[in-house]
Amino acid sequence: MSGSMDIAEIERLLYDEADCLDRADLDAWIELYTDDGTYWMPVMPDQESPVDHISLFYDDRVLMEVRRRNMNHPRSPSKEYPIRCSHIIANVRVTEEAADACTVTSNFHCLMFYNDKQTMFGGRYTHELVRQQDRLMIRHKRVDLINCDAALNSLIIYL
Amino acid sequence: MHYSNEQIAELVQPTRLHKNVYIDPDVFDLEMQRIWGNAWIYIGHDSQVANAGDYITLNYGKMPVVMVRDRNEQVHVLHNRCGHKGAKVVDQPCGRVGAFRCCYHGWTFKLDGTLAGVPHLSGYEGTGFDKSDPQYSMQKITSASHRGFVFATLNPNPPDLRTWMGGAADVMDNLCDRAPEGEIEAAGGVLRYEHECNWKLFLENLNDTMHPMIVHQSVVDSAVDYIKTLPEDSPRRDEAEIIPPFGASYEVFEATGITGFKYGHHYDGGKTSIHSNYSVDPDYEKAMIDAYGPERTREILTFNTHNTLYYPSLTIKSAIQNIRVVRPVAVDRTIIETWSFRLKGAPESMLRRTLLYSRLINANGSMVGPDDLTAYFRVQQGLQSSGSDWVEMHRNFGRDEDLGDRLKNTGTSDLDMRTQYAAWKHYMMEVA
Ligand code: FES
Ligand SMILES: [Fe+2]
Repeated sequence: MSGSMDIAEIERLLYDEADCLDRADLDAWIELYTDDGTYWMPVMPDQESPVDHISLFYDDRVLMEVRRRNMNHPRSPSKEYPIRCSHIIANVRVTEEAADACTVTSNFHCLMFYNDKQTMFGGRYTHELVRQQDRLMIRHKRVDLINCDAALNSLIIYL
Repeated sequence: MHYSNEQIAELVQPTRLHKNVYIDPDVFDLEMQRIWGNAWIYIGHDSQVANAGDYITLNYGKMPVVMVRDRNEQVHVLHNRCGHKGAKVVDQPCGRVGAFRCCYHGWTFKLDGTLAGVPHLSGYEGTGFDKSDPQYSMQKITSASHRGFVFATLNPNPPDLRTWMGGAADVMDNLCDRAPEGEIEAAGGVLRYEHECNWKLFLENLNDTMHPMIVHQSVVDSAVDYIKTLPEDSPRRDEAEIIPPFGASYEVFEATGITGFKYGHHYDGGKTSIHSNYSVDPDYEKAMIDAYGPERTREILTFNTHNTLYYPSLTIKSAIQNIRVVRPVAVDRTIIETWSFRLKGAPESMLRRTLLYSRLINANGSMVGPDDLTAYFRVQQGLQSSGSDWVEMHRNFGRDEDLGDRLKNTGTSDLDMRTQYAAWKHYMMEVA
């Protein structure tokens, strides 16, 4: 691989992010995102816009900050159940690369245990990464669930 | 168990409901027959089938149906069942066709459901089979629409749709009048959300104004706490107008008022609601004034309701321009669909706000909907208990104000429950 992006470093970031979500630690998770970072989970395959079409999630830093506080709030009925996840990421590939930024796609499976039920999620991640002050960070993450247009139950945490 | 009329009447008492209303599969089956079989059930908006041949498919109760526009602009609701051996004819959520063709033996049907073609017809000669006999067509379901909202009913003698809606039609009119062109269209897709609870728990929560400050305290606190950390000159965010009102006080909700109608419909708000302090986009306001003049514009934009229920299948938010549709699956399983609408002639920013609201409040990944759903789920679990057979609904009982065509009470009253269960009983009692 050419350029300043090292695949091992990229994978390390993806794994670190997955680890934060496995532990439902949004305080650590949010630190992996740039100030203009966004997280998007479309409701349609090939969905083009996060704002001209409904989505399952579309958070910028402001909503991430609210969600982080909400996750730790003692009085949210849906957060009374522990959330335990196990993410597996594979097929990591750099699809675009510039001097200090790149786009990376990967496949993921996430096994989630929540409210006495185990659920399997799976799909594709697209990460836009950028180097800021020597640190590789996430500027955008798109999560395409293979069943994004199914009637899903509540999604309590980012996948 | 089999329920006689007397036993059904026993389940619904003036200030309490029997738990079987929510947890007995036999009650659910009866509801599907008697309520979903007799009320006007929301199918879709006619903008979803804008051109000839456009169709959408959905379940009406447990039955597959298709809504389609024919070449004469006529919208039909058809049983999605082949006239031959019964295969489901159309299986995409939406699309456009010249005619329907069954995947099994290739029978074809016109856009109004009429049987058009049968392959190798000679085998039917002299058998008594008559291709022109309507029993072999895709069967029509009685349908009617108001401002583009298409409803269908299996009731052979239904009340006229507009009469059935009563005063609740004002809110649907208001939703459409908020468009400078007086028309709306479905836009931005649908969100489908599985609810592991009885369908009525979702409806009863709509105008349950005693819950937001409890159930939604966490998201309101989180938003307000975060806003406090921002510099004063931070750019205005719609989120900051949308989330905090969910934590409004009892007094605020009390003042909104609830209005109930025959057949179970009701709304909360009118003058004030949790949406009434939203800022108005100046471009939108201008488009409205150009279309309606200042007086009428003010009238339209100050009619502020929160949730309006067209019992049992449709709930709309006129001030937000989104709707939620109830599709019951089983006694403890319901699919809720959220649809958003474009106000024709309004700037696109209005649709974006609608979609933001749907995502922020109603989506599976939102910080509001999942907390509501957890509460319904807990009711569904708790009612399995033999600790009591009854659910109470006394709030402001005996103080509903009867205005002839409608009942009114304060915003925190159980008038919405009483209204729904009067209709429930009306539909559920078997007519001799
Ligand atoms: S079942 Fe449809 S053509 Fe035979
Ligand atoms: Fe709620």
